[in-house]
Amino acid sequence: MNTAEALATPLRGKRILVAKPGLDGHDIGAKIVALRLRNAGAEVIYTGLRKSPAQIARIAVDEGVDAVGLSILSGSHRDLVAQVAECLRAEDAADITLFVGGTIPAEDHAFLDSLGVRGIFTSDMPLDRVVAELAAALASADAA
Amino acid sequence: MSEPLNRRGLGRRLSALADASVADVLALTAELPVGDVPRIGLTGAPGVGKSSLAGRLALHRAASRRIGMLAIDPTSPLSGGAILGDRIRLDELAGDHDIYLRSIASRSATDGLADNLPELLAAMDAAGFDEVLLETVGVGQAEHAVRSQVDTLALVLMPGSGDTVQAMKAGIMELADLYVINKCDLPGAAQLGAEIKRIQALARAADGWQPPVVQTSIHDAQTIAELSAAIDRHQCWLAQAGRRTQGRRDRARYRLRLLLERRVAELIDSLDEDVLSQPLATQFTALAETLASAPAGPRSR
Amino acid sequence: MSSKADVEPTAPRLGQTSMAGIEVPVRAGPDLVDPTRVGEPGTMPFTRGIFPDGYSGRLWTIRQYSGFGTAEESNRRYRFLLDQGQTGLSVALDLPTQCGYDPVDPMARPEVGKVGVSLSNLAEMELLFDAIDLGAISTSFTINGTAAIIYAMYLAAADKKGVPREKLTGTIQNDILKEYVARGTWIFPVRPSMRLIADTILYSNEATPRFNPISIAGAHVRDAGATAVEEMAYTLANGLAYVDELLRRGGDAEKFAKRLSFFFYVHQDFFDEIAKFRAGRRLWAKLLSERYGVTDPKALMFRFGVVCGGSSLIAPQPLNNIIRVTIETMAAVFGGAQSIFTCAFDEAFQIPTETSAEIALRTQQILAYESGIARSVDALGGGYLVEHLTDRMEAEIIEVMRAIDDYGGVERAIEDGWLQMRIAERALERKLKVDSGDTVIVGQNFFRRDDGAPEVTETFRLDPTAAARVVEKYERVRQTRDQHKVERGLAALREAAARDDVNLVPYLIDCCHAYVTVGEMVDCLKAEWGEFQEPVRL
Repeated sequence: MNTAEALATPLRGKRILVAKPGLDGHDIGAKIVALRLRNAGAEVIYTGLRKSPAQIARIAVDEGVDAVGLSILSGSHRDLVAQVAECLRAEDAADITLFVGGTIPAEDHAFLDSLGVRGIFTSDMPLDRVVAELAAALASADAA
Repeated sequence: MSEPLNRRGLGRRLSALADASVADVLALTAELPVGDVPRIGLTGAPGVGKSSLAGRLALHRAASRRIGMLAIDPTSPLSGGAILGDRIRLDELAGDHDIYLRSIASRSATDGLADNLPELLAAMDAAGFDEVLLETVGVGQAEHAVRSQVDTLALVLMPGSGDTVQAMKAGIMELADLYVINKCDLPGAAQLGAEIKRIQALARAADGWQPPVVQTSIHDAQTIAELSAAIDRHQCWLAQAGRRTQGRRDRARYRLRLLLERRVAELIDSLDEDVLSQPLATQFTALAETLASAPAGPRSR
Repeated sequence: MSSKADVEPTAPRLGQTSMAGIEVPVRAGPDLVDPTRVGEPGTMPFTRGIFPDGYSGRLWTIRQYSGFGTAEESNRRYRFLLDQGQTGLSVALDLPTQCGYDPVDPMARPEVGKVGVSLSNLAEMELLFDAIDLGAISTSFTINGTAAIIYAMYLAAADKKGVPREKLTGTIQNDILKEYVARGTWIFPVRPSMRLIADTILYSNEATPRFNPISIAGAHVRDAGATAVEEMAYTLANGLAYVDELLRRGGDAEKFAKRLSFFFYVHQDFFDEIAKFRAGRRLWAKLLSERYGVTDPKALMFRFGVVCGGSSLIAPQPLNNIIRVTIETMAAVFGGAQSIFTCAFDEAFQIPTETSAEIALRTQQILAYESGIARSVDALGGGYLVEHLTDRMEAEIIEVMRAIDDYGGVERAIEDGWLQMRIAERALERKLKVDSGDTVIVGQNFFRRDDGAPEVTETFRLDPTAAARVVEKYERVRQTRDQHKVERGLAALREAAARDDVNLVPYLIDCCHAYVTVGEMVDCLKAEWGEFQEPVRL
């Protein structure tokens, strides 16, 4: 793979889980991101709707993913992200990079950071930026 | 069933093996014991419902066994990425289960399987499962490639898709141990079954196993039970008269060939322009010499 | 993948292709119009409108929408609004109620009371309408998976208040097909869900003839990323699927078609939207009369409501949204909508304030009473561009509907995940066009202000104690109700669900009267029908 290809696919070799926790039924954002991550070279698993935090953590562990993205537009992000982070910890998987997308008010960003969330992606963000920031977060996770 | 499964450990090991270069594989697999865990393969064209069938089959068998599953999805040639797990996930299905499901991208493999699949299967063997289910991509020559990797191979078809003729032409029909007609509620299921039996009768295998035809529908639990029972019968038959030994030799050949093919492909990809404009015999020798001087190639990280 | 998106887009382009992908002529002339296709308002095929006198006969309904946390809070707000002279109420339900989970279910706990009211049993419905005369108001419920249950609960509440059922008026959205592809509050597999919807419509036609038992919605697929063409095509296809099911269950199209209504978004662009509605009206009337032989004009009328705003509104430079909503509302008026909801300019980043909500309302009032655009029915009708676009739109819609038919119909397309995949692909296309600047969004990818957009603050009403109180009330109901009645009700429901030849609604009403909870009724039906297995296809 030459340099041009490497630049176009900064997520090559990465395995990423995109998940919809809870009852929120708006899945378009999650699907768009999943497709874009695939186009950036990642191997992506999308869980579909109505997954419990325990199920998400289980899939993340069994699939050996590098990152888990939670898409939440129902306002329940504080509870759900905390639960997923806890389930990952319980499965000895706290090293998996966590990122969140959806409608996340500014005042909750600090709380999510404290749970270990390494990227918060709102729907107006250009997809190229989502890819770049996620690639950077994964690179620093690798280095750590 | 003994110790609890170390899911995190297995997950990591499978990731490392999937990423392993040829040299890595040679170094790593020295540690992996030769397993004897029964393997069931499900193959067939896209759209026949392999994934949902595999899920229900796994759930049925998980009642009395610890099951591990590997499911292969195609890597996009454009980006090198993949959407995996494009299927009804096991957790959709009711019931308490502990089935381990791993989705694999085909990566550079073009035969419908995946890079380092023999190593991944060996890791699954070593992890303590009672049985491993493998689901192929279903394009290319997956049936040929997967034959040596599994003990029981089920070819999944569905009524109305005209698969049978294609399958006959490709000589695939002789490879399967079972024929599964999925979505059997659709019209034409019975006729398809009859046609397969007819072809089967003409191409009877030398070893004496008569591949049964099983009609299944994911909406009918009884058909899943029947499929499972047919698999059990084949496994019994294999266990008698040591038939699994021949399978093991083919498996070893495939594994070696896959590794070498991958290494050769890597070398060809990185050949200089000027070498490629030489006569064929010169190219061939140049490649063989490069291979001889660095047979395994670099470690990955 | 090109790096075009890495570069800041340099200049906005107008281009000649509309948002829906239709080529728009620079100069439209009489050669583009077939005068025989234009027709008259109030007559088949209703291209120009379903009423001959348009809005001068009756203005569109100004339906403003709001959801509140608990039943008690909502009740207080409704009583205030009724005092102010409003006669139409709208009820938003929380996700557990929409998805059929009781508030104590672990999947439900984080979501109780967040996006709407928790209505887990009849006691909550009674609280919601305490001291309100159900016979004098119109209530609209945005409910789908559990629509039959909420409808049954509404009737049970009316029964207890002594209000005759014939007086009840309102709407339930009750449109499951779009849930599977764009909104996600599905519960059961497709076939039994269709049965439940048909039962509810047919029961309502008899018992509550003034009630609108379905609002077939294209809005959500549009918001998810479908084009205007696809929005109308998927909606009409869904509509026909419901007609088929209703016929299968013994309904008479001349009768039930009168109570079918539709619901759309209005986005960009202006002429696409007008053409979309005119084409939709024409197509629906033609399809019902040609395929089903419906003759009563009232049964052929394509009645629809709209939301102006949604995902066309953005957070940066929010006041611009007022202009967007105004343009969209004008398109709705020229398109002949029966009811219009205008979003507030700040909905993209906060709960609308009183000011922004007021401006949204004033937008409609100014258009209605100051601008004069509502004086003449289908005022742009007969215009070269509008007629041409209506014809083009109709042709494109038919194409999409044919593709769905070729696939095997909407139900099959949904079960296989084919429709969902199309929508996701279109959404990605749309997003990439915005990212690259091919689609202009003023303030977002052009004409930005670097001081940034207002940050998203609280977009949902959150009373941290509300969930606990809901659970408390729920437990109390479970403890004090007659358990024998509950068990009998559920047993009868289960038996009826297993049979194909009974209408389920009376059984649901009986269960509601016994204070059976939403979760219990749903679990009972799930035991019989199973759950929808989402086909995850990308």
